[in-house]
Amino acid sequence: MIDWRRLGRGLVLPILFLALWELLRAAGVLPYETLSQPSLIARATLSALADGTLLYATWQTLEAATLGWAIAGAVAVLAGVLLGLFPPLARMTSLSVEALRPIPSVALIPLSLLVFGFGLRMEVAVVVFAVFWPVLIVTSSGVRGIEPNLLEVGRALKLSVARRIWKLVLPAALPSIAVGLRLGAGIAIVVAVTVEIATNPWGLGYGMINASQSLRADLMFAQLLWIGVVGWGLNVALLRIERRWLAWFWSAREAAR
Amino acid sequence: MENGRPLLSVRGLSHSFRTAEGSRPVLANTQFDIRPQEFVCVVGPSGCGKTTLLRLIAGLIEPSSGEILFKGRRLEEPQPEIAVIFQDYSRALLPWRTVAGNVALALEARNVPRNEHAARVDALLRQLGLAGHANHFPAQLSGGLQQRVQIARCLALDPELLLMDEPFGSLDAMTRQTLQDEVSRLLSVNKSTVLFVTHDLEEAIYLGDRVIALEANPGRIVEIIEIKLPRPRNQLTTREDQRFLEYRHRVFELIERGQK
Repeated sequence: MIDWRRLGRGLVLPILFLALWELLRAAGVLPYETLSQPSLIARATLSALADGTLLYATWQTLEAATLGWAIAGAVAVLAGVLLGLFPPLARMTSLSVEALRPIPSVALIPLSLLVFGFGLRMEVAVVVFAVFWPVLIVTSSGVRGIEPNLLEVGRALKLSVARRIWKLVLPAALPSIAVGLRLGAGIAIVVAVTVEIATNPWGLGYGMINASQSLRADLMFAQLLWIGVVGWGLNVALLRIERRWLAWFWSAREAAR
Repeated sequence: MENGRPLLSVRGLSHSFRTAEGSRPVLANTQFDIRPQEFVCVVGPSGCGKTTLLRLIAGLIEPSSGEILFKGRRLEEPQPEIAVIFQDYSRALLPWRTVAGNVALALEARNVPRNEHAARVDALLRQLGLAGHANHFPAQLSGGLQQRVQIARCLALDPELLLMDEPFGSLDAMTRQTLQDEVSRLLSVNKSTVLFVTHDLEEAIYLGDRVIALEANPGRIVEIIEIKLPRPRNQLTTREDQRFLEYRHRVFELIERGQK
Protein backbone atom coordinates (compact mmCIF):
# COMPACT_ATOMS: atom_id res chain seq x y z
CA MET A 1 0.00 0.00 0.00
CA ILE A 2 1.11 3.51 -0.69
CA ASP A 3 1.89 5.51 2.43
CA TRP A 4 0.12 8.76 1.57
CA ARG A 5 1.44 10.70 4.54
CA ARG A 6 5.00 9.82 3.65
CA LEU A 7 4.38 10.64 0.01
CA GLY A 8 2.81 13.97 1.04
CA ARG A 9 5.82 14.88 3.16
CA GLY A 10 8.13 13.90 0.31
CA LEU A 11 6.25 16.16 -2.08
CA VAL A 12 6.71 19.33 0.01
CA LEU A 13 10.20 20.06 -1.29
CA PRO A 14 9.50 19.52 -5.02
CA ILE A 15 6.36 21.72 -4.82
CA LEU A 16 8.26 24.52 -3.08
CA PHE A 17 10.98 24.21 -5.71
CA LEU A 18 8.50 24.44 -8.60
CA ALA A 19 6.78 27.43 -7.01
CA LEU A 20 10.09 29.24 -6.59
CA TRP A 21 10.99 28.43 -10.20
CA GLU A 22 7.67 29.80 -11.47
CA LEU A 23 8.05 32.92 -9.34
CA LEU A 24 11.60 33.68 -10.45
CA ARG A 25 10.57 33.16 -14.06
CA ALA A 26 7.57 35.48 -13.71
CA ALA A 27 9.82 38.13 -12.12
CA GLY A 28 12.07 37.85 -15.18
CA VAL A 29 15.13 36.66 -13.28
CA LEU A 30 15.46 33.40 -15.21
CA PRO A 31 15.83 33.29 -19.00
CA TYR A 32 12.68 32.09 -20.75
CA GLU A 33 14.35 30.43 -23.75
CA THR A 34 16.53 27.98 -21.85
CA LEU A 35 14.90 27.23 -18.52
CA SER A 36 11.21 27.53 -19.40
CA GLN A 37 8.84 27.53 -16.43
CA PRO A 38 6.67 24.95 -14.62
CA SER A 39 3.34 26.14 -15.97
CA LEU A 40 4.58 25.92 -19.56
CA ILE A 41 6.19 22.53 -18.87
CA ALA A 42 2.91 21.27 -17.42
CA ARG A 43 1.07 22.46 -20.51
CA ALA A 44 3.63 20.81 -22.81
CA THR A 45 3.35 17.56 -20.82
CA LEU A 46 -0.43 17.55 -21.10
CA SER A 47 -0.46 18.26 -24.82
CA ALA A 48 2.26 15.62 -25.47
CA LEU A 49 0.21 13.16 -23.44
CA ALA A 50 -2.98 14.15 -25.26
CA ASP A 51 -1.59 13.71 -28.77
CA GLY A 52 0.05 10.41 -27.81
CA THR A 53 3.62 11.33 -28.73
CA LEU A 54 4.87 11.14 -25.15
CA LEU A 55 3.33 7.73 -24.54
CA TYR A 56 4.57 6.42 -27.88
CA ALA A 57 8.11 7.60 -27.16
CA THR A 58 7.88 6.05 -23.69
CA TRP A 59 6.77 2.76 -25.22
CA GLN A 60 9.75 2.81 -27.65
CA THR A 61 12.26 3.51 -24.89
CA LEU A 62 10.75 0.96 -22.52
CA GLU A 63 10.52 -1.68 -25.23
CA ALA A 64 14.23 -1.46 -25.98
CA ALA A 65 15.18 -1.21 -22.30
CA THR A 66 12.96 -4.13 -21.25
CA LEU A 67 14.04 -6.41 -24.08
CA GLY A 68 17.72 -5.72 -23.45
CA TRP A 69 17.24 -6.12 -19.71
CA ALA A 70 15.39 -9.43 -20.08
CA ILE A 71 17.90 -10.94 -22.49
CA ALA A 72 20.92 -9.81 -20.47
CA GLY A 73 19.25 -10.83 -17.22
CA ALA A 74 18.45 -14.35 -18.36
CA VAL A 75 21.88 -15.05 -19.83
CA ALA A 76 23.76 -13.38 -16.97
CA VAL A 77 21.85 -15.28 -14.26
CA LEU A 78 22.55 -18.59 -16.00
CA ALA A 79 26.22 -17.72 -16.52
CA GLY A 80 26.51 -16.35 -13.00
CA VAL A 81 25.17 -19.59 -11.49
CA LEU A 82 27.67 -21.63 -13.53
CA LEU A 83 30.59 -19.38 -12.59
CA GLY A 84 29.54 -19.45 -8.96
CA LEU A 85 29.22 -23.22 -8.85
CA PHE A 86 32.38 -24.12 -10.75
CA PRO A 87 35.41 -22.15 -9.56
CA PRO A 88 37.65 -23.48 -12.40
CA LEU A 89 35.24 -21.97 -14.91
CA ALA A 90 35.35 -18.68 -13.00
CA ARG A 91 39.15 -18.69 -13.04
CA MET A 92 39.17 -19.43 -16.76
CA THR A 93 36.84 -16.54 -17.61
CA SER A 94 37.90 -13.95 -15.05
CA LEU A 95 40.47 -12.28 -17.31
CA SER A 96 37.97 -11.92 -20.16
CA VAL A 97 35.30 -10.60 -17.81
CA GLU A 98 37.67 -8.07 -16.26
CA ALA A 99 38.81 -6.92 -19.70
CA LEU A 100 35.33 -6.53 -21.21
CA ARG A 101 33.49 -5.13 -18.20
CA PRO A 102 35.18 -1.71 -18.02
CA ILE A 103 34.30 -0.87 -21.66
CA PRO A 104 31.69 1.90 -21.42
CA SER A 105 28.51 0.52 -22.96
CA VAL A 106 27.91 3.71 -24.91
CA ALA A 107 31.29 3.20 -26.60
CA LEU A 108 29.61 0.28 -28.35
CA ILE A 109 27.05 2.51 -30.06
CA PRO A 110 29.14 2.96 -33.23
CA LEU A 111 29.76 -0.79 -33.48
CA SER A 112 26.14 -1.64 -32.82
CA LEU A 113 25.03 0.93 -35.40
CA LEU A 114 27.37 -0.62 -37.94
CA VAL A 115 26.07 -4.13 -37.29
CA PHE A 116 22.35 -3.51 -36.83
CA GLY A 117 21.65 -0.10 -38.35
CA PHE A 118 19.14 2.29 -36.75
CA GLY A 119 16.27 0.75 -34.87
CA LEU A 120 15.31 -1.50 -32.03
CA ARG A 121 18.04 -4.10 -32.39
CA MET A 122 21.01 -1.75 -32.15
CA GLU A 123 19.58 -0.15 -29.01
CA VAL A 124 18.80 -3.52 -27.43
CA ALA A 125 22.33 -4.75 -28.15
CA VAL A 126 23.90 -1.85 -26.25
CA VAL A 127 21.50 -2.30 -23.34
CA VAL A 128 22.32 -6.03 -23.19
CA PHE A 129 26.02 -5.28 -22.90
CA ALA A 130 25.44 -2.69 -20.17
CA VAL A 131 23.11 -4.85 -18.04
CA PHE A 132 24.96 -8.15 -18.46
CA TRP A 133 28.03 -7.46 -16.29
CA PRO A 134 26.49 -6.23 -13.05
CA VAL A 135 23.91 -9.05 -13.05
CA LEU A 136 26.63 -11.64 -13.82
CA ILE A 137 28.87 -10.47 -11.01
CA VAL A 138 26.17 -10.11 -8.37
CA THR A 139 24.70 -13.51 -9.24
CA SER A 140 27.97 -15.43 -9.19
CA SER A 141 29.01 -13.88 -5.88
CA GLY A 142 25.57 -14.74 -4.47
CA VAL A 143 25.98 -18.35 -5.55
CA ARG A 144 29.51 -18.53 -4.18
CA GLY A 145 28.32 -17.17 -0.84
CA ILE A 146 25.82 -19.98 -0.24
CA GLU A 147 25.95 -21.42 3.27
CA PRO A 148 28.20 -24.53 3.03
CA ASN A 149 26.10 -26.24 5.72
CA LEU A 150 23.11 -26.13 3.38
CA LEU A 151 25.05 -27.96 0.69
CA GLU A 152 26.04 -30.53 3.30
CA VAL A 153 22.37 -30.95 4.22
CA GLY A 154 21.71 -31.55 0.52
CA ARG A 155 24.38 -34.25 0.40
CA ALA A 156 23.17 -35.90 3.61
CA LEU A 157 19.63 -35.99 2.18
CA LYS A 158 21.09 -37.51 -0.99
CA LEU A 159 19.63 -34.85 -3.28
CA SER A 160 20.91 -35.10 -6.86
CA VAL A 161 23.17 -32.31 -8.15
CA ALA A 162 20.36 -30.87 -10.29
CA ARG A 163 17.99 -30.81 -7.32
CA ARG A 164 20.63 -29.29 -5.09
CA ILE A 165 20.97 -26.44 -7.60
CA TRP A 166 17.23 -26.03 -8.01
CA LYS A 167 16.18 -26.43 -4.37
CA LEU A 168 19.19 -25.01 -2.52
CA VAL A 169 21.55 -22.91 -4.65
CA LEU A 170 19.06 -20.89 -6.69
CA PRO A 171 16.77 -19.93 -3.81
CA ALA A 172 19.78 -19.05 -1.68
CA ALA A 173 21.10 -16.75 -4.40
CA LEU A 174 17.71 -15.25 -5.19
CA PRO A 175 18.10 -12.11 -3.03
CA SER A 176 21.39 -11.33 -4.80
CA ILE A 177 19.86 -12.04 -8.20
CA ALA A 178 16.93 -9.74 -7.37
CA VAL A 179 19.28 -6.91 -6.41
CA GLY A 180 21.25 -7.46 -9.62
CA LEU A 181 18.12 -7.34 -11.75
CA ARG A 182 16.80 -4.21 -10.04
CA LEU A 183 20.18 -2.53 -10.53
CA GLY A 184 20.11 -3.71 -14.16
CA ALA A 185 16.67 -2.19 -14.76
CA GLY A 186 17.95 1.26 -13.80
CA ILE A 187 20.99 0.84 -16.03
CA ALA A 188 18.80 -0.36 -18.92
CA ILE A 189 16.77 2.87 -18.94
CA VAL A 190 19.81 5.11 -18.62
CA VAL A 191 21.55 3.36 -21.50
CA ALA A 192 18.46 3.20 -23.72
CA VAL A 193 17.90 6.96 -23.35
CA THR A 194 21.59 7.60 -23.96
CA VAL A 195 21.56 5.60 -27.18
CA GLU A 196 18.52 7.58 -28.32
CA ILE A 197 20.17 10.90 -27.52
CA ALA A 198 23.35 9.89 -29.31
CA THR A 199 22.03 8.10 -32.37
CA ASN A 200 18.76 6.26 -32.50
CA PRO A 201 15.97 8.48 -33.85
CA TRP A 202 13.15 7.42 -31.53
CA GLY A 203 12.03 7.25 -27.93
CA LEU A 204 12.30 9.73 -25.09
CA GLY A 205 16.01 10.39 -25.60
CA TYR A 206 15.47 11.41 -29.21
CA GLY A 207 12.43 13.44 -28.20
CA MET A 208 14.54 15.43 -25.76
CA ILE A 209 17.43 16.13 -28.07
CA ASN A 210 14.92 17.09 -30.76
CA ALA A 211 13.07 19.47 -28.44
CA SER A 212 16.34 20.95 -27.29
CA GLN A 213 17.54 21.54 -30.83
CA SER A 214 14.28 23.19 -31.83
CA LEU A 215 14.52 25.42 -28.74
CA ARG A 216 11.43 23.89 -27.12
CA ALA A 217 12.72 24.04 -23.55
CA ASP A 218 9.23 23.34 -22.18
CA LEU A 219 8.89 20.10 -24.15
CA MET A 220 12.40 19.02 -23.23
CA PHE A 221 11.73 19.50 -19.53
CA ALA A 222 8.40 17.76 -19.90
CA GLN A 223 10.15 14.61 -21.14
CA LEU A 224 12.98 14.91 -18.64
CA LEU A 225 10.60 15.00 -15.68
CA TRP A 226 8.52 12.25 -17.28
CA ILE A 227 11.56 9.94 -17.43
CA GLY A 228 12.08 10.57 -13.73
CA VAL A 229 8.50 9.55 -12.98
CA VAL A 230 8.74 6.43 -15.17
CA GLY A 231 12.01 5.35 -13.54
CA TRP A 232 10.60 5.88 -10.07
CA GLY A 233 7.48 3.87 -10.93
CA LEU A 234 9.56 1.03 -12.33
CA ASN A 235 11.68 0.82 -9.20
CA VAL A 236 8.61 0.79 -6.96
CA ALA A 237 7.07 -1.98 -9.07
CA LEU A 238 10.21 -4.13 -8.95
CA LEU A 239 10.60 -3.62 -5.20
CA ARG A 240 7.02 -4.70 -4.74
CA ILE A 241 7.52 -7.90 -6.76
CA GLU A 242 10.70 -8.56 -4.80
CA ARG A 243 8.92 -8.15 -1.47
CA ARG A 244 6.19 -10.51 -2.51
CA TRP A 245 8.47 -13.22 -3.90
CA LEU A 246 11.14 -12.88 -1.24
CA ALA A 247 8.78 -12.62 1.71
CA TRP A 248 11.02 -14.94 3.72
CA PHE A 249 14.05 -12.74 3.10
CA TRP A 250 12.35 -9.57 4.26
CA SER A 251 10.76 -11.27 7.26
CA ALA A 252 14.15 -12.67 8.26
CA ARG A 253 15.62 -9.18 8.02
CA GLU A 254 12.85 -7.79 10.15
CA ALA A 255 13.39 -10.56 12.72
CA ALA A 256 17.11 -9.81 12.86
CA ARG A 257 16.41 -6.22 13.87
CA MET B 1 19.00 -55.80 22.91
CA GLU B 2 22.10 -57.92 23.29
CA ASN B 3 21.19 -60.38 20.55
CA GLY B 4 21.14 -59.81 16.82
CA ARG B 5 23.89 -58.52 14.59
CA PRO B 6 25.00 -54.91 14.98
CA LEU B 7 23.38 -52.24 12.82
CA LEU B 8 26.67 -50.41 12.49
CA SER B 9 30.23 -51.65 12.96
CA VAL B 10 33.19 -49.33 13.08
CA ARG B 11 36.41 -51.28 12.38
CA GLY B 12 39.89 -49.86 12.92
CA LEU B 13 38.76 -46.44 11.80
CA SER B 14 41.43 -43.72 11.52
CA HIS B 15 41.29 -40.30 9.99
CA SER B 16 43.86 -37.57 9.38
CA PHE B 17 43.45 -34.06 8.08
CA ARG B 18 45.99 -32.78 5.59
CA THR B 19 47.58 -29.58 6.80
CA ALA B 20 50.43 -27.39 5.59
CA GLU B 21 52.90 -29.33 7.79
CA GLY B 22 51.71 -32.74 6.66
CA SER B 23 48.88 -34.79 8.04
CA ARG B 24 47.39 -34.40 11.51
CA PRO B 25 45.65 -37.47 12.93
CA VAL B 26 42.25 -36.70 14.47
CA LEU B 27 40.94 -40.20 15.01
CA ALA B 28 43.02 -43.31 15.63
CA ASN B 29 42.02 -46.96 15.39
CA THR B 30 38.45 -46.55 16.56
CA GLN B 31 36.36 -49.66 16.98
CA PHE B 32 32.81 -50.20 18.25
CA ASP B 33 29.38 -51.55 17.32
CA ILE B 34 25.91 -50.07 17.54
CA ARG B 35 23.06 -52.53 18.01
CA PRO B 36 19.53 -51.90 16.74
CA GLN B 37 17.41 -49.60 18.95
CA GLU B 38 20.42 -48.60 20.99
CA PHE B 39 21.11 -45.03 22.10
CA VAL B 40 24.89 -44.58 22.04
CA CYS B 41 26.51 -41.35 23.19
CA VAL B 42 30.00 -40.24 22.22
CA VAL B 43 31.57 -37.84 24.67
CA GLY B 44 34.97 -36.24 24.79
CA PRO B 45 36.87 -32.97 24.96
CA SER B 46 37.15 -30.70 21.93
CA GLY B 47 39.65 -32.05 19.44
CA CYS B 48 38.83 -35.69 20.21
CA GLY B 49 37.43 -36.17 16.72
CA LYS B 50 33.86 -36.86 17.78
CA THR B 51 32.35 -34.69 15.06
CA THR B 52 34.75 -36.23 12.54
CA LEU B 53 33.56 -39.67 13.63
CA LEU B 54 29.97 -38.64 13.02
CA ARG B 55 30.77 -37.16 9.61
CA LEU B 56 32.57 -40.35 8.64
CA ILE B 57 29.55 -42.46 9.57
CA ALA B 58 27.30 -40.00 7.72
CA GLY B 59 29.40 -40.70 4.62
CA LEU B 60 30.23 -37.00 4.23
CA ILE B 61 33.98 -37.66 4.38
CA GLU B 62 36.07 -40.74 3.63
CA PRO B 63 38.25 -42.35 6.30
CA SER B 64 42.03 -42.50 5.88
CA SER B 65 41.93 -46.15 6.91
CA GLY B 66 39.62 -48.70 8.46
CA GLU B 67 36.03 -49.28 7.52
CA ILE B 68 32.44 -48.71 8.56
CA LEU B 69 29.93 -51.50 8.03
CA PHE B 70 26.27 -50.52 7.91
CA LYS B 71 23.97 -53.57 8.04
CA GLY B 72 26.99 -55.63 7.08
CA ARG B 73 27.80 -53.61 3.96
CA ARG B 74 30.76 -51.31 3.62
CA LEU B 75 29.65 -47.68 3.81
CA GLU B 76 31.17 -45.40 1.16
CA GLU B 77 28.68 -42.57 0.65
CA PRO B 78 25.70 -41.03 2.45
CA GLN B 79 23.07 -43.72 3.03
CA PRO B 80 19.34 -43.09 2.64
CA GLU B 81 18.72 -44.97 5.91
CA ILE B 82 21.03 -42.69 7.92
CA ALA B 83 19.87 -39.21 8.89
CA VAL B 84 22.05 -36.44 10.33
CA ILE B 85 21.00 -33.72 12.74
CA PHE B 86 23.52 -30.91 12.57
CA GLN B 87 24.51 -28.83 15.55
CA ASP B 88 24.02 -25.51 13.84
CA TYR B 89 20.26 -25.65 13.25
CA SER B 90 20.06 -22.06 12.04
CA ARG B 91 22.34 -22.88 9.13
CA ALA B 92 20.88 -26.31 8.42
CA LEU B 93 17.36 -25.03 7.72
CA LEU B 94 16.34 -23.41 4.44
CA PRO B 95 15.50 -19.83 5.45
CA TRP B 96 13.24 -19.34 2.43
CA ARG B 97 11.02 -22.28 3.28
CA THR B 98 8.41 -22.38 6.01
CA VAL B 99 8.62 -24.92 8.81
CA ALA B 100 6.34 -27.26 6.84
CA GLY B 101 8.41 -26.69 3.69
CA ASN B 102 11.63 -27.55 5.50
CA VAL B 103 10.20 -30.85 6.71
CA ALA B 104 8.80 -31.57 3.25
CA LEU B 105 12.32 -31.27 1.79
CA ALA B 106 13.09 -34.69 3.27
CA LEU B 107 10.00 -36.16 1.61
CA GLU B 108 11.01 -34.59 -1.70
CA ALA B 109 14.45 -36.12 -1.31
CA ARG B 110 12.84 -39.54 -0.92
CA ASN B 111 10.43 -38.98 -3.84
CA VAL B 112 7.37 -39.38 -1.64
CA PRO B 113 4.28 -38.54 -3.77
CA ARG B 114 3.23 -34.90 -3.32
CA ASN B 115 -0.30 -35.71 -2.21
CA GLU B 116 1.05 -37.55 0.84
CA HIS B 117 3.25 -34.64 1.98
CA ALA B 118 0.67 -32.59 3.89
CA ALA B 119 -0.54 -35.43 6.09
CA ARG B 120 2.95 -36.70 6.92
CA VAL B 121 4.31 -33.23 7.62
CA ASP B 122 1.32 -32.49 9.87
CA ALA B 123 1.87 -35.66 11.87
CA LEU B 124 5.58 -34.92 12.36
CA LEU B 125 4.96 -31.31 13.36
CA ARG B 126 2.42 -32.47 15.92
CA GLN B 127 4.86 -35.05 17.33
CA LEU B 128 7.47 -32.33 17.84
CA GLY B 129 5.09 -29.71 19.21
CA LEU B 130 5.37 -27.52 16.13
CA ALA B 131 1.76 -27.73 14.99
CA GLY B 132 1.11 -24.01 15.37
CA HIS B 133 4.26 -23.04 13.49
CA ALA B 134 3.75 -24.78 10.13
CA ASN B 135 3.66 -21.53 8.19
CA HIS B 136 6.38 -19.66 10.05
CA PHE B 137 9.83 -19.09 8.62
CA PRO B 138 12.81 -20.42 10.62
CA ALA B 139 14.04 -16.91 11.42
CA GLN B 140 10.77 -16.27 13.26
CA LEU B 141 11.39 -19.19 15.66
CA SER B 142 13.52 -19.58 18.79
CA GLY B 143 16.59 -21.82 18.68
CA GLY B 144 14.83 -24.68 20.43
CA LEU B 145 11.96 -24.62 17.94
CA GLN B 146 14.39 -24.45 15.00
CA GLN B 147 16.17 -27.54 16.26
CA ARG B 148 12.79 -29.30 16.56
CA VAL B 149 12.20 -28.50 12.89
CA GLN B 150 15.49 -30.11 11.97
CA ILE B 151 14.65 -33.19 14.04
CA ALA B 152 11.23 -33.39 12.35
CA ARG B 153 12.93 -33.23 8.96
CA CYS B 154 15.23 -36.11 9.88
CA LEU B 155 12.40 -38.23 11.30
CA ALA B 156 10.50 -37.68 8.03
CA LEU B 157 13.19 -39.84 6.43
CA ASP B 158 12.20 -42.69 8.74
CA PRO B 159 15.89 -43.39 9.32
CA GLU B 160 17.29 -46.66 10.67
CA LEU B 161 20.16 -44.75 12.24
CA LEU B 162 20.00 -41.20 13.53
CA LEU B 163 23.25 -39.26 13.90
CA MET B 164 23.06 -36.25 16.20
CA ASP B 165 25.94 -33.80 16.39
CA GLU B 166 25.69 -31.86 19.66
CA PRO B 167 22.07 -31.07 18.79
CA PHE B 168 21.36 -29.25 22.05
CA GLY B 169 24.79 -27.67 22.46
CA SER B 170 23.80 -24.12 21.65
CA LEU B 171 20.48 -24.06 23.52
CA ASP B 172 19.87 -22.56 26.94
CA ALA B 173 19.75 -24.98 29.90
CA MET B 174 15.95 -25.06 30.30
CA THR B 175 15.26 -25.64 26.60
CA ARG B 176 18.00 -28.27 26.51
CA GLN B 177 16.44 -30.31 29.35
CA THR B 178 12.98 -30.13 27.79
CA LEU B 179 14.31 -31.28 24.43
CA GLN B 180 16.41 -34.04 26.01
CA ASP B 181 13.29 -35.54 27.58
CA GLU B 182 10.95 -35.03 24.65
CA VAL B 183 13.37 -36.27 22.02
CA SER B 184 14.50 -39.31 23.97
CA ARG B 185 10.86 -40.27 24.63
CA LEU B 186 9.98 -39.80 20.95
CA LEU B 187 12.99 -41.78 19.78
CA SER B 188 12.31 -44.67 22.13
CA VAL B 189 8.66 -44.80 20.98
CA ASN B 190 9.93 -44.85 17.37
CA LYS B 191 12.46 -47.55 18.35
CA SER B 192 15.18 -45.44 16.72
CA THR B 193 18.86 -46.26 16.82
CA VAL B 194 20.89 -43.20 17.73
CA LEU B 195 24.50 -42.09 17.77
CA PHE B 196 24.58 -38.91 19.83
CA VAL B 197 27.72 -36.77 19.99
CA THR B 198 28.13 -34.30 22.85
CA HIS B 199 30.78 -32.61 24.97
CA ASP B 200 28.43 -32.62 27.96
CA LEU B 201 29.14 -35.82 29.88
CA GLU B 202 26.04 -35.54 32.08
CA GLU B 203 23.92 -35.29 28.94
CA ALA B 204 25.68 -38.38 27.55
CA ILE B 205 24.97 -40.43 30.70
CA TYR B 206 21.41 -39.11 31.03
CA LEU B 207 20.46 -40.07 27.46
CA GLY B 208 22.63 -43.05 26.60
CA ASP B 209 22.38 -46.82 26.87
CA ARG B 210 26.13 -46.75 26.39
CA VAL B 211 28.67 -43.95 26.54
CA ILE B 212 31.80 -44.01 24.41
CA ALA B 213 34.44 -41.84 26.09
CA LEU B 214 37.06 -40.41 23.75
CA GLU B 215 40.36 -38.77 24.55
CA ALA B 216 41.95 -36.13 22.36
CA ASN B 217 45.00 -35.76 20.10
CA PRO B 218 44.47 -38.05 18.36
CA GLY B 219 40.92 -39.10 19.16
CA ARG B 220 40.88 -42.56 20.66
CA ILE B 221 38.36 -44.58 22.65
CA VAL B 222 39.33 -44.74 26.33
CA GLU B 223 36.37 -46.79 27.44
CA ILE B 224 32.86 -47.81 26.55
CA ILE B 225 30.54 -47.71 29.54
CA GLU B 226 27.19 -49.47 29.80
CA ILE B 227 24.70 -47.12 31.51
CA LYS B 228 22.35 -49.21 33.62
CA LEU B 229 19.96 -46.49 34.73
CA PRO B 230 16.22 -47.28 34.61
CA ARG B 231 14.02 -45.70 31.97
CA PRO B 232 12.10 -43.51 31.62
CA ARG B 233 14.68 -41.19 33.08
CA ASN B 234 13.86 -38.04 34.97
CA GLN B 235 15.77 -34.77 35.13
CA LEU B 236 15.58 -34.71 38.94
CA THR B 237 15.55 -38.29 40.19
CA THR B 238 17.89 -39.76 37.57
CA ARG B 239 20.44 -37.00 38.01
CA GLU B 240 20.30 -37.47 41.81
CA ASP B 241 20.58 -41.26 41.52
CA GLN B 242 23.72 -42.57 43.25
CA ARG B 243 24.64 -44.62 40.15
CA PHE B 244 24.31 -41.51 37.94
CA LEU B 245 26.84 -39.75 40.13
CA GLU B 246 29.17 -42.75 40.00
CA TYR B 247 29.00 -42.85 36.20
CA ARG B 248 29.62 -39.12 36.11
CA HIS B 249 32.63 -39.49 38.38
CA ARG B 250 34.04 -42.31 36.28
CA VAL B 251 33.56 -40.66 32.87
CA PHE B 252 34.93 -37.41 34.23
CA GLU B 253 38.10 -39.14 35.45
CA LEU B 254 38.53 -41.00 32.20
CA ILE B 255 38.32 -37.85 30.14
CA GLU B 256 40.46 -35.91 32.59
CA ARG B 257 43.13 -38.60 32.40
CA GLY B 258 42.92 -38.60 28.61
CA GLN B 259 43.60 -34.88 28.46
CA LYS B 260 46.97 -35.18 30.18
